[in-house]
Order: sequence, then C-alpha cells, then structure tokens
Amino acid sequence: MIATDLSILTPEIVLAIYAMIGLLAAVYTSKDGLASTLTYVTAVLFVVMAFYIGVTGGGTRIAFGGMFVDDGFARFAKITILLAAAAILVISHDYMEKSDLLRFEYPMLITLATIGMMIMVSAGDLMALYMGLELQSLSLYVIASLRRDSVRSTEAGLKYFILGALSSGLLLYGASLVYGYSGTTLFSGIIDTAVNGELSIGLLLGLVFLIAGLAFKVSAAPFHMWTPDVYEGSPTPVTAFFATAPKVAAMALFARVVHDAFGGAVGDWQQIVAFLAVFSMFLGAIAAIGQTDIKRLMAYSSISHMGFALMGLSAGTEQGVTAMLIYMAIYVTMNIGTFAFIMSMEKDGRHVTEITALSNFSSKEPLKALAVLVLMFSLAGVPPMVGFFGKFAVLMAAVDAGLIWLAVAGVIASVIGAFYYLRIVYLMYFGAEEDGLDGRMGLVPWVGLVACAAIMVLGVFNLFGVDGLAEAAAATLVR
Amino acid sequence: MELLISVMVGVMIATGTYLMLARNVLRFIFGLILISNAANLMIFVAGRLTPESPPLIPDGADVPPDIVANALPQALVLTAIVIGFGLFAFALTLVYRGYQSMGTLMSDEMRLAEPEEDRQ
Amino acid sequence: MAEAAGEVPRVAGGPAGWISILIPAAIFVWLVQLVPAISLGEVILWAYDWVPSLDIRLSVILDGLSLTFALLISGIGALVTLYSAKYLGNHPEYPRFVLYLMAFMFGMLGLVLADNLIALFVFWEVTTISSYLLIGFNSDEAKSRRSALQALLVTGTGGLALLAGIIMLGNVAGSFELSVILSQGDMIRAHPLYVPIVILFLAGAFTKSAQFPFHFWLPNAMAAPTPVSAYLHSATMVKAGVFLMARMNPAIGGTDLWFWTLTIAGGFTAVFASILAMRQTDIKQVLAYTTLMALGTLTLFIGAGTSDAIKAMMLFLVVHSLYKAALFLMIGIVDHATGTREAEVLRGLGRKMPVTAVAAVVAAVSMAGIPPLVGFIGKEFLYKAGLELDQGMFWVTGAAFAASALMFAVAGIVALRPFFGKLAETPKPAHEGPVMMLTGPLVLAGLSLYFGLFPDTIEAWLVAPGTWAVYGDPTVSVDLYLFREVNAAFILSLVTFATGAVIYAIHRPLRNWLGRIFEANPIKFDPGWDRVLDGLKALAAWQTRHLQSGVLQRYLFTVFATLGVAVGLTIWARDALAFDLDLSSELDGLLFKHWAVLIFVAAGAILTALTSSRMTAIVCLGVVGIGVALIFIMFSAPDVAITQLLVETLVVVLVAVAMLKLPHLDLPGRRDKRPWHGVLSIGVGVVSSAVLIAVMQGDIDRRLTDYFEITSWPEAYGRNIVNVILVDFRALDTFGEIAVVVVAALAAYALLRGTHYKKPVAAKEDEA
Repeated sequence: MIATDLSILTPEIVLAIYAMIGLLAAVYTSKDGLASTLTYVTAVLFVVMAFYIGVTGGGTRIAFGGMFVDDGFARFAKITILLAAAAILVISHDYMEKSDLLRFEYPMLITLATIGMMIMVSAGDLMALYMGLELQSLSLYVIASLRRDSVRSTEAGLKYFILGALSSGLLLYGASLVYGYSGTTLFSGIIDTAVNGELSIGLLLGLVFLIAGLAFKVSAAPFHMWTPDVYEGSPTPVTAFFATAPKVAAMALFARVVHDAFGGAVGDWQQIVAFLAVFSMFLGAIAAIGQTDIKRLMAYSSISHMGFALMGLSAGTEQGVTAMLIYMAIYVTMNIGTFAFIMSMEKDGRHVTEITALSNFSSKEPLKALAVLVLMFSLAGVPPMVGFFGKFAVLMAAVDAGLIWLAVAGVIASVIGAFYYLRIVYLMYFGAEEDGLDGRMGLVPWVGLVACAAIMVLGVFNLFGVDGLAEAAAATLVR
Repeated sequence: MELLISVMVGVMIATGTYLMLARNVLRFIFGLILISNAANLMIFVAGRLTPESPPLIPDGADVPPDIVANALPQALVLTAIVIGFGLFAFALTLVYRGYQSMGTLMSDEMRLAEPEEDRQ
Repeated sequence: MAEAAGEVPRVAGGPAGWISILIPAAIFVWLVQLVPAISLGEVILWAYDWVPSLDIRLSVILDGLSLTFALLISGIGALVTLYSAKYLGNHPEYPRFVLYLMAFMFGMLGLVLADNLIALFVFWEVTTISSYLLIGFNSDEAKSRRSALQALLVTGTGGLALLAGIIMLGNVAGSFELSVILSQGDMIRAHPLYVPIVILFLAGAFTKSAQFPFHFWLPNAMAAPTPVSAYLHSATMVKAGVFLMARMNPAIGGTDLWFWTLTIAGGFTAVFASILAMRQTDIKQVLAYTTLMALGTLTLFIGAGTSDAIKAMMLFLVVHSLYKAALFLMIGIVDHATGTREAEVLRGLGRKMPVTAVAAVVAAVSMAGIPPLVGFIGKEFLYKAGLELDQGMFWVTGAAFAASALMFAVAGIVALRPFFGKLAETPKPAHEGPVMMLTGPLVLAGLSLYFGLFPDTIEAWLVAPGTWAVYGDPTVSVDLYLFREVNAAFILSLVTFATGAVIYAIHRPLRNWLGRIFEANPIKFDPGWDRVLDGLKALAAWQTRHLQSGVLQRYLFTVFATLGVAVGLTIWARDALAFDLDLSSELDGLLFKHWAVLIFVAAGAILTALTSSRMTAIVCLGVVGIGVALIFIMFSAPDVAITQLLVETLVVVLVAVAMLKLPHLDLPGRRDKRPWHGVLSIGVGVVSSAVLIAVMQGDIDRRLTDYFEITSWPEAYGRNIVNVILVDFRALDTFGEIAVVVVAALAAYALLRGTHYKKPVAAKEDEA
C-alpha cells in the first residue's frame, strides 16, 4: 500500500529529496557559490517533472486513503505550476545576480513552495490542503522578504505574513467546522454529507471560512490587501513568481475544494464565489487606473484577473472549470512575458518600475514595444489576442450557467480594465520624448518576452490545444 | 463541559481578535498564539470529549475498548500544534527583523509601501 | 506627413507599397467574379472549426450584404493604398503604416464576411486596434494622440458591450452562427432577453458608427492621415456599425423598440451632423461631419425597415462610399498641393488643378443629389421609401429632407468655392496632384456617374442581393431608375435643391451665427468625455485611499468585518442557531478542576488582551497554553497535551528572549484602547462560541475514527491509535508537518543571516 502510495507521489518526493540535497550541498560548499547552478538545475528539474507528469499520468489515482489525489485536473495544474516556476527562475537569474540576491535559498525556497503547491492541487483532504498551503505560504513569506537590506522588502514580508497567517487561521477554523459537522476531513467524505443539495449550517459556515482563507491566497477582494504592497515591496522576480505559479495553485485548490468536497451543493457556494468575482474584477480594474508603479499596477491587474477566473468557477459546472483552467494558463503566460519585460526595465543602469519611464519606448525599441503591446492587449482581453479567448471562455461559462448579470458585470469591468493597459501602450507609442529606458535586455528575458507575446498572437489559431487539455482536466474534477 | 469550553473558546477568539487588530505587531503575535490555541481546542472539542480513556489498544486486544476518545482530532491537533509553532517562530523572527530595519513595532508606522499620490 | 524630415525616397512606396496595392486589388478581382452567382440570390457558406471547445468557428457567409461591403472594402482599399503609396510613400515609417493598414483591411473583411458572431467580434476589435494605430500614426501631434485614445476607448467600450450582447444572443439562439440565428427572428424577438440584446448590440453599433450621443469621437479622429480618413472614416470602419445593424435586422429588427431607437438616433444624428458641418471651415472637418450625416441616414432607414427603406439604404450606402471617399482623397490632394484645407482660403483652384477639380465636382454633384449622378437616385429612393412609411413618415422623411438640403449646401462649400472664382493665395503655390493620387478620386467619381446613367447594373450586382440579405426575404423585387415620372419624391427633390441653394447662399453668415449658438451651448460632448475620464481617475484614487490605506490594522479590520457580515448573512439566510441549551446536564458532574481550568484560561486570555506590560502578557499566554494542555489531559489526549506543553514552553522562552531586543508594548502614556475593535472582537467571539455550540448539538460521524480503531493493530501494529494515524494512515500530514518546520527554520535563518547591523543576532533565534 505504502509503496504504491509513494509511487503516485514520485514528483513531489523527487523534488523534496532534491531540495534537501540542494540545501545540504549549498551549506557544505560555502553557500552561495552554487546558487547560480542551483537555479538552472532547479528549472531543468521542474521541466523534467512537468514532462514526467505529462507522460506518465493517466486516469485517477488515489494515495494515502484519499488524502492525495492524482487526476487529470491535478496534472494540468501541476504542469502549469512547474513550467511557470521554471520560466520565472530562468528569466530572473540575471536580475537576481545583478541585485546581489542570488543566494541558494532562492531556488530552494521556490522548490519548497512548488512542492507545497503540488500538494495543494492534489489535496483530497482538508489536512493535506492545509499542510500544502502552509508549506507554500511559509516559503513565500520568506521569498517576499528576501531582500534583506531593503526596508520595503521586510515590510512586504511582514504584512504578507500577518495577513497570510490570518488567512491560514481562517482556513483552519473552517476546516475544523467542516470536520465538526461531517466527522471527516476527506473531501470524498464531506461530499457524501452534502448530497441532498443543501449544506447544514455548520458545514456552510465552515465553507464560508474555507473560501475566505482561499480568497486570500488567490488575492480576491476583499481579501486582497496584501497584494499591492507585497508586489511592490518584493524584488521583481519574486513578484513575478507570486503572480504566476501560486495563483494557479490557489485557484486550482479553490476549484478542488468547492467541487470535490462541496460539489453537491453548488447553489450554496455559487453566490459567495460570484460575489468575490465581481468585487475583485471591479476593485482591481478601478484601483489600477490610478497607479504609477507598474508592479502595483500588475498587482491590481492580477486581482482583477482572479476575479475573472473566479467567474468561471462560480458557474459551478464542468464548463466553468474548463474556462477557469484556460484562463489561468493564459494568464500565467501573459504574466511571465510581462514580468520578463518589467525585470529588464532599467534607466541609467538602475532598475525602475515607474510607468512613465516607458514613455516613447517604441521609437527606441520597436520590437520589444510591439511585444509589450501584444501582451497588454492580451491582458486587456482585446481580440484577436489569446487573452480574449480566456475572457470569452469564462463569460460563456457564466452565461450558460444562468449568471448573466455576472457576465455583464465582467464585461463592464473589462471595459474599465482596458483603460490602464491601454495607457501603457499609449505611453510607449505616443508618450512625450524624454530620457526613457535604457532598453537593454538579457537574452533569456528577451526570449521570454517575445515568446510569450508570440504565443498571444499565434495561439489565436488553436490555443495550442490548451482548451482540449483543460476540458479533459475539468472532466476529472467535476462529476 | 462542552458548552463551557465553547464559551471559553469564544473568549479566547475574542481576545485574540482584539489583539490581532492592535497597532503593535507583537500584540498581533500574542493574538495569533491565542487564536491558534483556540482553533486547536475547537477541533478537539468538535470531535467530542471523552474523559479518562485515551485511544490506546490494550495489550492482547485487537481493538480498543468500547468507549475510547476520538483519536482522529487528536492527530489533527498534534499536526496543527507543530505547524502553528513553526508559524509562530517565523513570525517572531520576522517581527524582530522588522523592528531592526524599521525601528518600530507599530504597523501604521510601516507605511513605506504606500505611494504618495494615493494619500492626496 | 510626406513633408516630414527624414524622408526615405521610395518608388510608389517600395515593396511595401506594391504589396499593399496588389493585395486588395487581387481580393477585389476575386470578389467581382463571384458577383454573378450572388446576384442570382445564391449564398455562399464556408466554415472551419477554430476553437471548438468554445464554439468559435471561422465561418464565412457571402451574400449580397457581405459582398457589397467586401467589394467596397477591397476596391476602395486598392485605390487608397495606391494613393497613400504616393502620399506617404517617402515617410520613414511607411512600412509600419502599410502593416497597420493591411491589418485593418484584413479585420474589416473578416468582420463583414464572418458567419460566426464571435469571429465577427474578434475582427471587429481588430479594426478597433488597427484604427487606433492608424489614427495615432502622426504620433508627434498631441491632438492626434488624444484622438487615438479617445476613438479606441469609445469604440472599444462599445465593442465589449457588443460582446455581451453576442453572448446573450448565442445563449438564446443556441448558436453563434449567423446563418442559424437569422432564421430564428421570431423566437428571439419574443425572448425576455430581447431588450438587453438589442441595447447591447446597438451600443456596439452606435459607438462604432458614431451615432448620437457617441458621435464626438469621429471628427476628432480626423487627425489621422488623409488616406486613413478616406478609408476608415468614410468608406469602411465607421460603416461597420451600420453593417452590424443591417446584418442583424432579420434577427432582432422589426419591433417598435428597434424602429424608434434607430430612427430617432439616426435622424437626429443626420440633422445634427449636417448642422455641425455648416459650422466648420476646415474642409476635412466638413467632410467628417457629412460622414456622420450619412451614417445617421443609413441608421434611420435600417430602422424604418420596410423593403423600400432597406433598398434605399443599400443604394445610399454604395453611393455615399463612392462620393465621400473621392472627396476625402481630393481634399488630401489639395492639402498636399496648397498646404491648407481652409474653406475660407481656398478659391479658384480649378485652373491650376483641373483634374482634381473635375473629380471633386462630379463627386460633389453626386453628394448634392443632382441628376444624372447616382447620388440623385439615392436621394430619390430615400424620399420614396420615407413617404410610403405607415409609421413615422414625417419624422423619417423630414430628417432625410433636412439632411439632404444641408448636404446640397455642403457640396457647394466643398467643391464650388475652392475650385471656381478667382485664384487665392495659398501657403504653397497650387499645382496638379500626381497621377497615383488622382486615380482614386477619378475612378470613384467615374463610378458615381456610370451608376447614375446605368442604374440597372448597380441594382443587379449589389442593391438587390443586399436588400434580400438585410430584409431577410429573397423575393423582394428591386427596380432602380434615374427618372420615370413626376411624383412626390421628385417634387421633394426640387424643393431640396431650392432650400440647399438658399442655405449655400447664406452659409457664411450662417456659420458665424451657428458658431455663436454653439459657444453659448452648455452641453458639450467632448469636454464631457474628459470629465468621464477624470471621474474614473478620481474614483480610483478614492477607492485606493479607503481600501488600500497601507495600514495593516485597517486591512485586518476589513477582513474581520467582512467575515462577520458573511457569517451573519449566512446565519440569517438559514435562520440557524435555533438550538436549545441544556444547562443542568452541562453543570452536572462538573468538578472543581474543570472550573479552575476554564476560569484560568479565560482570565489569562482577557488579561493578555488588556495588559500593557510585556511580562504580564507572556505569563498570561503561558497560563492559557498550560490550561489548554490540561484540557487535553482531562479529556484523554495525553500525547497532544505533552506536545502542547513542550511547544508552549518554547513559545514563552522565545518570546521572552525576543523581548530583550524589542521595545515596550505601548508608548509611555498611550494605552492600547480601541472600543470599536472591542465591539468587533466580542462579536467575533460570540459568533465563534455559538457556532461551536451548534456543532456540538449534532451527531458526529465517527466512521473514519472507527476505521482507524479497527485497523490500527491488525494493519499497522500500533497500540497508540493517535501515533498510528500520524505515522501511518496520515503520513502525508506528518511529512508536510516536518517540511513546514524545516521551511520555518530555513526561513528564520534566511531572514537573520547576513544582517548588516551592529547588534549581534540573538543566538536563540536560530533555534526556530
């Protein structure tokens, strides 16, 4: 029994062993000498693991008596997480080295966080969920305050921790309520107690707390407050990481909890999730308008995007989960590209994040400006860029589930949202002539930026088949 | 006893909440400790209380006696306590770091992250 | 502009130019050979699965309507690219311009040919983006930048409204294929979502086609290079809205809502725009407003909806595209040659620029609606259709009449004054334009004349098939003619000419008078637009100030308050917490030790919250921890109790050590008193207690525990069930737990190492 259980967890275990060996090796060989190598090795290992999960997976396998579920849904999320984390690691290498932040903890903490995320998306039990979440969160708290010489970074880490700890508390509280009422922490057991379509009050309250805790992690409003401060305060590569892999993990976990454990009572959570979606979409879109710092802007943008992903989830259908997965995959790609660019924003050799620095960028670097333009249009959800298809998928899911008001709200929010993305484009193309960015960019971030932009355009033909994979993945979750 | 413990848990949560809302982040940590204790108790109590019969299987028997305490919440609480401790230790370090670099424990004085134009 | 510094000499725009001319020309030729089939009433459908999971298909519908539009787009497209190869061919950024223009044309063709509404929407936005880039092509001018952004935001917003409408319509009709939807008109019109669908579609169409009250962006967008104005803002993009209304007419048209919205908006736009046109002195602006007038007229007649009205609309659509593109290109030549577009400055150019003058006059005569140009037929049929309406006859005919009369006067302003009379001084000496730029206006003017003389051709090729498609009935007969008898429409035409001539005669005093009126008018749309943007920014600032204050305390308060509301609402919605308390059985058997523990823990907690002494707080925390451990012991959880005691001790020690380095809890004289937080906290506490009590009321499901109890020894050989669960059944938890502790240690280490402060790091911290 244990042997089969462990074989199902192979990727997680391999990564855990790797993390331990990496830590030991780094400590043994006077620490940071290995950091650069470790970064690349970690990235390669992530890609290998993603590949391994992609080829070996098949069907639904359960380990540890249901605590750990390896199904198509988990595999889709894990592959997205691993690839995103690998991309961020590789892209950020130059930045970290230059800012003297490339210590061995960085790749190791990202590895540990990634393990946490993989456990999260595979969780079939409240305790496994909590544990994966904590493993991830703790690593992220530290990564957020990695820049030890910066007060802002410390502040970001502290705020993130305090709010994060609170959210973990809420989650735990919700879990204890659910356990108290259902007598089990297994999702498969909880769903049995809610088959009649209506949850008992205790389970419902437990669900409210669970959702509140999860909303923190996906930074859905009104639990989003940590996001802008942490995005701005953390080193840019860390922000990039925050914006990508953990969001996918948290969103996947969200989907798993509401469908796997509470799938029998869609009506009970649909309204809550829809509320979070609307609130996030609008809050993110409106707040982003006033921002002058591109990292803060991306923070609000991600809040708004999470709102859209939640809209897909709130449909409560297989179609909704499909839409959410498509949305997240596209979202992550757009963010990797955008952050590859943000990391390269330098003025007189120093990193800058002011939006005004982009002024008239297109005359200096037409190709990069075009790539950013594509990404911005895609983020805004303007067709024909791929970003549109993500938005369209969630809107369709909402409408087909009868949530027409939600879809209309989504459209209005994207109108507002378009404003600030287009402002960036506007500045790049029509901004006043002044001393703008240096325009230099390392090869790897350049490839990241251009590749992501190209995906946003070329994906128009068939979305690279992501929609089909997402459909298959969603089918394993929603039964 | 369940009823009274429930009330006591409520008191712990109320005081914990109050502490977490304080300006001083050290108070926040005190609140965190209280609330995590309360949460542990909650899980424990939700599994029902059984006095003086630990979940042990006597020598020679295959199953425990008829009335024995619910073992599952105990296992959960054990895990939660350890994780809570990890969190706490980290929190304390973070506060210490924060104090070193910012010279204050007051959360409203840690406002560097807020850009100026937002406060016009 | 071509005069800009840094010119790159190119022959006809270089390779980029040739390609840009050949592509639309080839498409035009290909479309022309399809005309015979379509004119017989055939509809060509073709489809390819694009994103099947989202029900998006790349499907093409080629009927009279889409063919007419596609021919205009590619035909005028070829002439405009030919023109711009000369006009902008030497501009350093000309290849970029061509790229945008081709993207635009591609989007436009896709839009009119799409059978799938989602594909249609995608192309719709392609035209929005590429037109943004085209309008902003002269990016060094502040005005053009603002216009570009404005056009983008207005049409983009409308586009998204359209998307919402499309999604709803698809939901109602069960398909996004136009060929399916168009046959379900009756069902759609009866559906409860019909009204929102119409409103959303019209929001898209009105913004794109600049109908009142969204008309303000179009004249501003004239900052674009002249070929762009000619192409986008007269012949193609702005007609996309008209196209959409025409296309959807069989599915969502024909109701009172449709009739009145379209006729009122269209009529108002037509008259209002004609009046505004009289105000302008820049001929390009004059043309911009007359374009608005034409769009209004088209909307008006789609709304009117009778077969005659649709016929008139289709005819006027072609007529207008021909003369308006010719005039725009003409003014570009004049601007190029003389350096000005001011109506007051330009006079008597006819001798210096005879070819331009001929093209201008022919196009203007068509615009004025004078026979034998096709413009006359267009106007006649508008009147004829208007006069035969049962409903709103006076409104539709009146609007058409007013607009036509004003148009007559405008034609005079545009073509009469600049080319006739005495030659006036211009910034540059006037000279005839180059052949490449003259081709367009001449061909278009020639077509206006040809179709006027031989109306049967345009009838058979374009107007009849178009009418079938828009009216949704392929049996309607279409019969166009230049003149047959003196009827009401003809008489109205004569009155129009007379009125127009009078207006032309007095147009200069009229312009001044209008100028004064509009100065005094308090309602201005353009500044209104700025106010909307400012308002949005102010809202953003307000929201950030209140929700993102940067103060952690407020964040926490928001969270707790949100939760309080959420829980409260849940309880209220479920009418829960109606449980009965059995106090007597509760108090039975309660021993002194129980009481002592309960009171110690509660008192410890309260004192922690209230004290301002650090030591008291730590001691109280210790008391609480030990109390909790005692509860674990009393209720048969020795393992948990031991762990709790151990952890609690460590916690107290760590806090105590940290205290040595940290300041006091409160500043001297500032106790921590927060009544509102107190209220909120008590609320949270009460709710928590209540919920927990409610949990205890129900029965617990012990299946999982029973399973562990039964299998603990036989399967895992453990007598301590808790231990068995931890290390065996739930090993994953334990694995994660250890990982969490490792991470915490690593984290603490990462935070503390390498600090550059003078104070040595407390060794104890590393224990964490």
